[in-house]
Amino acid sequence: MGSVLALSSSPGHQNWPFSPDPPPSHWDRRDGRLPNPGSFHSLHRSCKDVFPQQIEGVKMILNKTLSSFFKVSHTLHLSAVSPSYYRFHVEHLQSDDYSKDKDAPALIGEMDSSGSLNAHALLHLNERVRARTVFQTQQSQFVTWQFETEYRGNDFTAAVTVANPDVPRESVILVAHFLQSVSSGLVLGGELVYHRGRAEEGGILTLAGQYSRPNWVATLNAGKGGAHASYYHRANKQIQVGVEFEASTRTQETTTSFGYQMELPEANMVFRGMINSRCIIGGVLEKRLTPLPATLIMGAFVNHRGDKLQVGLGINVG
Amino acid sequence: HVKIIYTLRLSVSCVFNVDSQLTLSHPLTSPSRMGSVLAASSPNPPPPTSGGAASGLTVPPGFGMPPVIPSSGEASGQEQEDDSRLPNPGTFDECHRKCKEVFPMQMEGVRLFVNKGLSNHFQVNHTLLLSTTGDSTYRFGATYVGTKQMGPAEFFPVMVGDIDNSGSLNAQIIHQIANGVRSKLAFQTQQQKFVNWQCDAEFKGEDYTATVTIGNPDVLVGSGIVVTHYLQSITPALALGGELVYHSRPGEEGTVMSLAGRYTGSNYIATLTLGSAGAHASYYHKANEQLQVGVELEASTRMQDTSVSFGYQLDVPKANLLFKGSVDSNWVVGATLEKKLLPLPLSLVLCTFLNHQKNKFQCGFGVTIG
Repeated sequence: MGSVLALSSSPGHQNWPFSPDPPPSHWDRRDGRLPNPGSFHSLHRSCKDVFPQQIEGVKMILNKTLSSFFKVSHTLHLSAVSPSYYRFHVEHLQSDDYSKDKDAPALIGEMDSSGSLNAHALLHLNERVRARTVFQTQQSQFVTWQFETEYRGNDFTAAVTVANPDVPRESVILVAHFLQSVSSGLVLGGELVYHRGRAEEGGILTLAGQYSRPNWVATLNAGKGGAHASYYHRANKQIQVGVEFEASTRTQETTTSFGYQMELPEANMVFRGMINSRCIIGGVLEKRLTPLPATLIMGAFVNHRGDKLQVGLGINVG
Repeated sequence: HVKIIYTLRLSVSCVFNVDSQLTLSHPLTSPSRMGSVLAASSPNPPPPTSGGAASGLTVPPGFGMPPVIPSSGEASGQEQEDDSRLPNPGTFDECHRKCKEVFPMQMEGVRLFVNKGLSNHFQVNHTLLLSTTGDSTYRFGATYVGTKQMGPAEFFPVMVGDIDNSGSLNAQIIHQIANGVRSKLAFQTQQQKFVNWQCDAEFKGEDYTATVTIGNPDVLVGSGIVVTHYLQSITPALALGGELVYHSRPGEEGTVMSLAGRYTGSNYIATLTLGSAGAHASYYHKANEQLQVGVELEASTRMQDTSVSFGYQLDVPKANLLFKGSVDSNWVVGATLEKKLLPLPLSLVLCTFLNHQKNKFQCGFGVTIG
């Protein structure tokens, strides 16, 4: 179902709960023409941002903006279940026009205390053509190396990704995405994944559709690999709600999740809660400690079926 | 070499007239007997005036016994009043208390503590602990304070009870029988089995305190533990005392004795406890209104190891903040942050402990309501 590239501190809704900009809306009409539908990866993003991120142990993040192009952040994570690490994160923006845009052209690198590297390069080659390169290593071994090219037309987006091309082992994963704005609220598209290894090869086709209105967004991905449906609803300025359904034919299981986000700007607080069909209940509270440029994060996740509890504390400075 | 140490103690004890029936001549020759004697030295009865909701019994402040009396102001005040009168030295258990209170308490998981006062005499509390390592528990506790008034904030009898979701019970009854005589009954069960039942009587004189405790007396089996404490004020600043533990089981019996001394200065308290079970020295220093520091040394002959801990407490009443930190010779670093979230009657506690030697990390937070 596509490759998920998770940067530890990617700019986005999770780190900037009090962004003064209004949430991006696909439903704005510009000059009576259909808008560009965005990239395939961001179809389910508005729903996923409502859910709390699993937090464990104590994490301290120190963000330092050295100039309008250069940002540095240090992360120290002390954990009870996984080994503790220190991570160094660097961002160099190509231009300072986009301050909080998630797809701003940038060079992003992340290095772990165990030697794992995570490098992203997003380039805007043209007004319409974007390229992205991702390298991920686990200590000294390369885990992911992929190259993506995206073309943004007036009312469509097409992208081709080559993931883990390995000439000696003759294996490669090719992914092609296509999204087309059909009407002012409706976006239809598909994803074709072709993977080839030494012993086998195959292709998976997934169709995607998204319907948006000013207050809610409904998205559906359906294919031979499974289905993924999500519904995002903005009840009022403070409450956002998301429901997600995932079914996978490979692991033969389905999951339904319900999450909500409550913002209290007067109290400088954001609370995200979620409940799962796997009997997982979680909540994360983020509080901005004015006048200090610090944010305190407290969260707990309970897995009732496995009787496990995970508690996390974090502080973001800067 | 054991006998040599015992003769030295004998000379020291004669100075302050300790009961001459002390079995100092009791032969502790065989190593196995030494081991069993030390293993059987029972832990002291749970202190009735501890602050937050610990795992044992707790009595909320104001409902229990008064704190250690010899502090800087009061000691000097007494001296000015009447040179011949020495203050009461407090109880033997509370010698090391001031220093121990500076150290942070280890906590993990999520804890919710709700305290509700139903009337002037009755208080109820609920504790919900979701634990990352062990089992999650719910605990219900009740405190009843009687009508007999002995001091400005002391009422007797005091009954404190605590029951767990697995059925474990902790119960304590404290009563002032006569002027200067206080008695306590304590019971502890693990699910349905009684693990601890004890009775003690405390005699508070003008300048001395004597306590007798009978622990786990079992007439059918013929076993029991008797603990005697004695603490005497020598000067307004110096208090000396001793503890004698006699335990008996069918087939073996033994005693453990330890001596204690405490010196209170203008803004510090130094305490030393020495015995055949080991040594415990603590130093408490109040640097200023906000900072208190404590250093502790514990040596145990049974476990053959020593540990030194350094702890400090930072009080910032303007920010409603209380921070406690500690560093240990076992490479354990820990800290607790407590913040009152006014105007709500809510208090938030964050706690983390890191054991560098074993590379273990523990963090937890709790909310106290009421």
